[in-house]
Amino acid sequence: MSSHQWYRAAGAIGIAAVVMAGCASVPKPTEQIAVSNSAITNASRAGGAEFAPVEMKSAQDKMARAHQAMAKEDYEDARRLAEEAQADARLAEKKAESAKARKAAVVMGDDIRVLRDEINRKSK
Amino acid sequence: MKNNRILPLTLVVAAVLAGCSSLPANNSLLDEARNDYSIAQANPQVTSLAAGELKQASNSLDKANSAWSKDESKAKVDHLAYVAKQEVAIARETADQKAAELAVTNATAERDAVRLEARTREAEYAQRNAQISQRQSEASQRSAQISQRQSEASQRSAQISQRQSEASQRSAEASQRQAESQTQAANIAQLNAQDARQQAEAAQDRSLQLEAQLKAMEAKKTERGMVVTLGDVLFDTDEAQLKSGGVHNVQKLADFFRQYPQRNVMIEGFTDSTGSNSHNQNLSDRRADSVRTALLGMGMGSERITWRGYGESYPVASNDTAAGRQQNRRVEMIVSDDNGKIAPR
Repeated sequence: MSSHQWYRAAGAIGIAAVVMAGCASVPKPTEQIAVSNSAITNASRAGGAEFAPVEMKSAQDKMARAHQAMAKEDYEDARRLAEEAQADARLAEKKAESAKARKAAVVMGDDIRVLRDEINRKSK
Repeated sequence: MKNNRILPLTLVVAAVLAGCSSLPANNSLLDEARNDYSIAQANPQVTSLAAGELKQASNSLDKANSAWSKDESKAKVDHLAYVAKQEVAIARETADQKAAELAVTNATAERDAVRLEARTREAEYAQRNAQISQRQSEASQRSAQISQRQSEASQRSAQISQRQSEASQRSAEASQRQAESQTQAANIAQLNAQDARQQAEAAQDRSLQLEAQLKAMEAKKTERGMVVTLGDVLFDTDEAQLKSGGVHNVQKLADFFRQYPQRNVMIEGFTDSTGSNSHNQNLSDRRADSVRTALLGMGMGSERITWRGYGESYPVASNDTAAGRQQNRRVEMIVSDDNGKIAPR
């Protein structure tokens, strides 16, 4: 093998290594899976199933698919699904909390109106 | 030879790029995320109440934009755009939640102000009642003075007739005796008239007092007797402790029973249907007992008081509305007849 040919082979191997690193080698997203699971737990504790059923279902479906991807060692896909499930779960939790806060504001407004009616009735 | 070497290398690079990325086409999910973000950014409620959440969404959108401009795979751009879009929605919901919480805080302050107003009005109402009673007593005093003047006038005319009869005394002894007996009869009649007038005034005073007292307590006539109702606003929320307004009402009732010792009282506590049966039973028991304790403290004998709680039984209004529930949360005090009897429920 001439030095000419040797350089060419080394260059080809180098390019192949860069391509492998860029496209394929992805770490196992164990931590992201745990974070997403806990986001779903929080959301369902806040009443996500009642106040944001669409987001809640989407989060649970994506989490199930993330587990399947993990089993197939498709870590790239598993991480994306888990991240999306986390975003869905956080949105479900927020929707539940804001719905509850709005409800509390309405109840408080009702109470004040009743109190005012009572005063007006008494002062007649 | 040189060209031959460069050509396959270029093909390899092109193949690698094609394998890892897609063509630079528009990405609809990214467009949606950008659109949602610019709407949220234009909303002052979101920028002021959810600045942190909006910043996070902005960072995620930057990542998606950069992946798109580098022609990275559609799957990756879609993924980043989706996360950005959900984070914009999270910022929006966070702002909604905080705005509602602020509204609750403001409403709490308003409710306290309204309660204060209620107590002030109640005090003014009691003062007005006192003024009315005073005016009534002044009026009866004036009418008494008028009657007295009238009786003085008739006395004077009686004296005049006496003098006339004294003048005629000289002319006839018989007519003098007759005149004297007439004067005596007039005096007796006058005394009788005074007695009757005093009795009538006393009776009128008593009935005015009773009427004014019952009016002040807002008593209602029912089949079981007069009923005075202590509303929910006279107790602390979910507590048996009477507020000053409630103590004021119970004091009026205690005064009433001091004047009418042959009358007894039945105290009955009620709640609305919110909460468990046992909690409601317990609260109604404690509220009834709290009123009893107040009456005992004001000197009423324990043998004259019966009391019990009925929980959420016997509602007077619907439990489906806040107004109805407020009416159902109450303590009723039933005044007995003159024999101390109260019909059972």
